[in-house]
Amino acid sequence: MNTASAPAEIVAEPLLSLAAITKRFGSFTALSDVSLDIRPGEIHCILGENGAGKSTLCNLIFGVHRPDAGAMRYRGARFEPSGPADSLAQGIAMVHQHFSLVPDMSVVDNVLLGREKGVLNRKQCARQLEQLAVDYGLPLDPFAKIEDISVGERQRVEIVKCLIRDPSLFVLDEPTAVLLPDEIAALLEVCRRVASSGRAVVLVTHKLAEIKKIADRVTVLRGGRVVATSDRPAAEIDALVRAMIQGSVETLDQSAASILGLEPVRHVGHDSGKQRAPRAKIEALQIDGLTVKDYQGVTRLDNFTLTVDRGEIVGVAGVEGNGQSELTAVLAGMMSPSDGRIHLDNTDLTARSPKEITAAGVGIVPEDRHAVGCVTGMSLAENIYLNRLDEFTRFGFLRRAALESEAATLMQRFDVRARGPGALFSSLSGGNQQKAVLAREITLPNLACLVAAQPTRGLDVGAVAAVYSHIRAACDRGVAVLLVSSELDELLTVADRIVVLYRGRIMGSCMADPDRREAIGAMMAGQPQ
Amino acid sequence: MTTLPPQPEAAANTAARTIATSGFAIRPALLVPVLAVGFAALIGLALIAVIGVSVPSAIAAFVDGTLGSPYAMAASINRSTVFALVGFGFILANRANLTNVGGEGQIAVGGIAATAVALYGHVGALPLGLSFILPMLAAVLAGALWGALAAVLKVKSGTNEVISTLLLSFVGVWLLYWCVQSPALLRKPMTSSATLPESLEIPDTTQLPLLTGDYSFPLHIGLPITIVIAVVVAVLLSKTVLGLRLRAVGLNPVASNRAGISYARTVIFALAMAGALGGLAGALMLLGEQYTLKDGFSSGYGFDGLVAGLLSRGSVTGVIAASLLFGFMRSGGINMEMVAAVPTALVVVIQGLIVITLAGATLFIERWERQ
Repeated sequence: MNTASAPAEIVAEPLLSLAAITKRFGSFTALSDVSLDIRPGEIHCILGENGAGKSTLCNLIFGVHRPDAGAMRYRGARFEPSGPADSLAQGIAMVHQHFSLVPDMSVVDNVLLGREKGVLNRKQCARQLEQLAVDYGLPLDPFAKIEDISVGERQRVEIVKCLIRDPSLFVLDEPTAVLLPDEIAALLEVCRRVASSGRAVVLVTHKLAEIKKIADRVTVLRGGRVVATSDRPAAEIDALVRAMIQGSVETLDQSAASILGLEPVRHVGHDSGKQRAPRAKIEALQIDGLTVKDYQGVTRLDNFTLTVDRGEIVGVAGVEGNGQSELTAVLAGMMSPSDGRIHLDNTDLTARSPKEITAAGVGIVPEDRHAVGCVTGMSLAENIYLNRLDEFTRFGFLRRAALESEAATLMQRFDVRARGPGALFSSLSGGNQQKAVLAREITLPNLACLVAAQPTRGLDVGAVAAVYSHIRAACDRGVAVLLVSSELDELLTVADRIVVLYRGRIMGSCMADPDRREAIGAMMAGQPQ
Repeated sequence: MTTLPPQPEAAANTAARTIATSGFAIRPALLVPVLAVGFAALIGLALIAVIGVSVPSAIAAFVDGTLGSPYAMAASINRSTVFALVGFGFILANRANLTNVGGEGQIAVGGIAATAVALYGHVGALPLGLSFILPMLAAVLAGALWGALAAVLKVKSGTNEVISTLLLSFVGVWLLYWCVQSPALLRKPMTSSATLPESLEIPDTTQLPLLTGDYSFPLHIGLPITIVIAVVVAVLLSKTVLGLRLRAVGLNPVASNRAGISYARTVIFALAMAGALGGLAGALMLLGEQYTLKDGFSSGYGFDGLVAGLLSRGSVTGVIAASLLFGFMRSGGINMEMVAAVPTALVVVIQGLIVITLAGATLFIERWERQ
């Protein structure tokens, strides 16, 4: 219970209130008759699956979209923001789901961007950043370039960008998707501090652990409608989850429940039902002494050696930015190692092109879905078969009918929900996009090894369960799986073995045993065990 | 999920689509550009009136220069084919998110290659049409190399193709200047100091055959060639795997690379194709119309073709429409200048006005369609 700091009986004048808001995009109704109040001093969580309308709601508050019906009131007056700049000027700040930073510019410049006119006072801004770092526990190097810092740090920059404006309403759209356990705790603490000074925080999430920990009130969205609200979320969490997914928590996939924080972390593995009998060890993926230096000569991955057997899931744990991206980029053929070899069975795959690597039977689910995994401006069917277009060609002509009917089969098998195989990829929700990318990689005809990086990032309950059931099924067929994730609970649940990366080196490895959580956490922080 | 009642908007959309496809309804997509051109023409006429030229005589000269005679019509269409080829090349490369602004230089090198081969040895005596096919192929090859050069620079060192194709245009245009100035290259034998800096006239057999065989209607085989290429480009872009790959690389080169689509090969192919079409355009100009290579031979055709490509919004029909407009505009403009004494500058101003209003119309249609 968390009502001690904000007694529910005292209902303050709402800071922001939405009354019967409806928002349509073409014939699609994203929000329908949504009413809610945000009170000063509270942390108000918006819970819902992907596509439930959470982001649309945030964008309405932030002035990106305008409602088709209904009205908003802010600080007791009608609120019709003309755009984000207007909302910002009125004291509403928002951290978006996707970063809006300029990679080529420094932290300070990104923070100053759009805030100051005329001469930039970088020194003063850097001092402010240092003050914020002390106040909220958000350390940052003000003069580091965005492209050189980790994803977690970039998220911090986004948050600092908002806090420096001293907002009275702080909106965060799924901010913890890319953060480490410690960082999440720190962020929640930031939210708590912001709220305790009489300001309001709107936190969009689908992580239940966060809600349990911090929410004062919760509004649950499903299909664009408010389906539940709670003033005592910690006590009513099961009912809220049920409202969110419109199903019973009991039927939820074990691994998904564990990952989402509904249940204590428990190892599930993949040979569900069977005891983990000692398998015949058949080495599939062999990585030997892999070393990657970036263009500045900095070693990003240092002498990485690992073997993944057939039918085994090996998890790579670690704080983001410790060499995981380089590891997957090299395995995918998007980057050349400066040293070391990669073998699949007996085929040398070192520094081969992505095409050759795919042909050898290595499926890659990239960390950055939008940049590497798909072409969002093309159709779902085209994306699902982007690496196998040659199979749908006759005399150079594309056999579109065949392509779309094959894609429709895969859509069904992988439960990819879209208007049809011809739907624009960008019109799909994140979870469905990820399922489509997974479908493409996991259905390679000669799949022998699957490298999946952060495969469940930003996905909702149903999608997480689906992704892991497919990965486990592939593994049971004898595919070697390398699973890179910054969510330790996820790895503990599904992997057989975990190696921990720290500053590009393997800090240690152990069996995926939830009891060793502390030890693994320490290794992630750079302490050998 | 609860089943939602059918959305009334959806029904309305279907109804609107039926009307739009019935063929009789006036579609703004067609009407707006026509209005835009008419509007620009009206302003142009007002400007002509302001500078004191008789408007009726200017109109008469324009009509005379475009539709007034079989000769004028054929010459206009021949011009249009040149714009169209450059425009097709532009949209082809643009599908891979490449902006080829090098049409001018590609026309120039195409013209040089066509002249050189047409004047070489006994090429003029070859049978089976080889006498004009070989110079054309040489022009295609030269243009393709010119385009591929920019592509290789882009792939190897990341040079922006807008810069490299533009600069290569200047190189091509000055290469042409050098070729017609130097007797060691293509300049015709200097018999006196008054010998013009131009090549010899190419042999009759290397000139493009006329469709009617009658010089009063000089429509040459460039038209059927352009029509075939239009079909090929349209099919390539919409029906082939290659077209899909161009689009994939244009939209997301990184993801395409991961999916096994070579960025380097796609970029080089796209710009080489654009260059090849530019080179062919140069060949049509030289072998079909001018017959001698002169300084200033490309005279802005590459840039007008580029504008045709830009205005088309990536569609082959769009390129054809814009090219026809520009072809007739140019013929009419030249005649207005010669007969009605409308200054060249004003003709250029009117052309510019048309481009601006058309671009505005395009924007308008896009917004209208989005709603």
